[in-house]
Amino acid sequence: MKISKKVVLIGHFGVGKSSLIRRFVENTFSDDYKVTIGVHIFKKKVAITEEDKDISLVIWDLEGNDDIRDTRTSYLLGTHAYIYVFDVSRPATYMTIKDDIDYLKQHCNKTLIKIVGNKEDLLTKEQIKQLNKEIEPLVDFYTSAKTGNEVDELFSKLAMELI
Amino acid sequence: MLKTYKKEHGKTIIQYLVVDFNGQILESDDVLFSNVKAQNITDINPFFETLIPLLETDHEDYFFNCIHLNLNNKSITADITLKTFNKEKYPLLTITDLSSHYKHYQTTAQVRNESVINSQILELKNSYLREKEEFKNTFIANFSHELRDPITGIITFSDILTNTPLNDEQQNYLQILKSSSNFLKKMIDDILDISKIEVGKLKLVLKPFNIRELLNDINANYSIRAKEKGLEYVSTIDEKIPTQIGGDAIRLRQVLTNLLDNAIKFTEKGSINFNVSLNQIRAQKASIHFEVIDTGMGIAPENIDSIFKNFTQINNPLSFKGSGLGLAIVKYLVELTHSKISVETELGKGSTFSTNINFRLEPESKQKAKPLKKTITKPIKQDKKYNILLVEDSEITQLSVLKILARKGQFFLDIVSDASEVIPRIENSEFDLVLMDIKLKDQWGDEIAKKIRQLPEREHKRVPIIALTAKIFSADLKKYKKAGINDVVKKPFDEITLINTINKYLK
Repeated sequence: MKISKKVVLIGHFGVGKSSLIRRFVENTFSDDYKVTIGVHIFKKKVAITEEDKDISLVIWDLEGNDDIRDTRTSYLLGTHAYIYVFDVSRPATYMTIKDDIDYLKQHCNKTLIKIVGNKEDLLTKEQIKQLNKEIEPLVDFYTSAKTGNEVDELFSKLAMELI
Repeated sequence: MLKTYKKEHGKTIIQYLVVDFNGQILESDDVLFSNVKAQNITDINPFFETLIPLLETDHEDYFFNCIHLNLNNKSITADITLKTFNKEKYPLLTITDLSSHYKHYQTTAQVRNESVINSQILELKNSYLREKEEFKNTFIANFSHELRDPITGIITFSDILTNTPLNDEQQNYLQILKSSSNFLKKMIDDILDISKIEVGKLKLVLKPFNIRELLNDINANYSIRAKEKGLEYVSTIDEKIPTQIGGDAIRLRQVLTNLLDNAIKFTEKGSINFNVSLNQIRAQKASIHFEVIDTGMGIAPENIDSIFKNFTQINNPLSFKGSGLGLAIVKYLVELTHSKISVETELGKGSTFSTNINFRLEPESKQKAKPLKKTITKPIKQDKKYNILLVEDSEITQLSVLKILARKGQFFLDIVSDASEVIPRIENSEFDLVLMDIKLKDQWGDEIAKKIRQLPEREHKRVPIIALTAKIFSADLKKYKKAGINDVVKKPFDEITLINTINKYLK
């Protein structure tokens, strides 16, 4: 049976949502920042070996906003999972994380949400540890689209949970 | 004709598609992409997978703006609408190619986002630098503070040694010891001042004072110092200067003595001129001009800006002692009065440092200006013995206070090192005065003072408490006063200062 799930990446602009997707789908990275406007849609098949199944992730790369409440609601129709991305090196991108996650839960309480701190390569392990203590709710993954650290792990875990 | 023009030159940007309830394409006008009939829309682009569950809804309109699609190897940015009807009519998909419109929007968003991100990064870098600077200043302040107890010990015991039988050689050694410890004390004071200035904690304390007394005192000291170096010292004080003015006397003295120290340090022959004159009196304010002229080595034009920076010595630093902070402190302090320090200089001929500072006018005191002398001023009853409690955990300071008081022969000294012992000791004895260290190992001295003031016995509420501390920021002084501390002796202290302060409170 063909399983296809819609995954939406959401968060402030410049946090690396497009880079995470590019790393996962094409295994590439570019340092040049190109603003996303509207939405780009990608598809990648993920094999779940434990279950002997494949799942197609239809990944929506949304344009970043200062406030996620400004996101066009039509983009969120039929979403199976959110990946909320913030930039560990820019506090402005995680200052409102608690309110943002509450907002998402309020609007789609059964939808899976993963919280991801991207650009972890810009901080030391000690700084990440400190940051992790400060941020609420709990961060699921600290990733680096640049080095690829934890990117596959993030999408594989998500795929497993979606199946 | 219009129909022909439209056919020849019109741009068609909308494609219509009719699909069945499973997404199979039934009809297409092939405007944007062709040969799609019989395909499923989900095969064209993954975007359309989202629409499948919506196809069977009843009379709904769905709008999707700014969707990036790859169609027949051509990238477009489109607005897409889905219109559903009832089960008898198939849904209609409309795809409007707005690529050129969104391209413009993309450029605007790029500029805007980059600018916001850059300003956030800049702010972050600034805050990191501020934190680093604050850490450095706090470290310096704490470190300097820790040096004060041993310096108090050196100064006190040097004073005590002066009054013991010494041969000439020993007297010479003692003089070197005293001048070195005073020099060290000055350096620590300078470093502490700079660290306070840099974290914005140094504030002027404006009070009425007698400026003539202050200037006479400075002249008395510096005429001797200039003479010791073989320099002529000439001071001209304008008679029109009001005697009583309002300002920060301590900081004014610091500015003037730093300028004079600097002049003497860098002048090998010739003279030092110290001139003070009245510019004007207006709106209850007196503007006073201060000028220090030397015939020293002067400063090269390219170095003038850097002499007011921290830790700068233009000439070979090995030849001249000092932290290089004197002029930096002068600049900061003068700027705190909303004024400026200026310098005119010629290499090899000398320099003139000058500033104009505004002071508040105060009612004139009838008292005649007298040079200040640091002597023990108030006599205490010679036949009475006084009980003093010293709360102090530094053994050096304990010994210093003990020696100073023992030499007077009028005091019994009780010493407590542990904060927890203070209250029981006070409850079980009668003290005439308490000397309280502020930074004890396990408690703050002002907290202990508060507890003393809360004791039920009336005499405990009245016993004078004098703080011994290097923490004398204006916020600290307010805190001590609130805790019931009567006075403060700044560490490192000398014998005269300590005895004078104690005597003020003894009956």
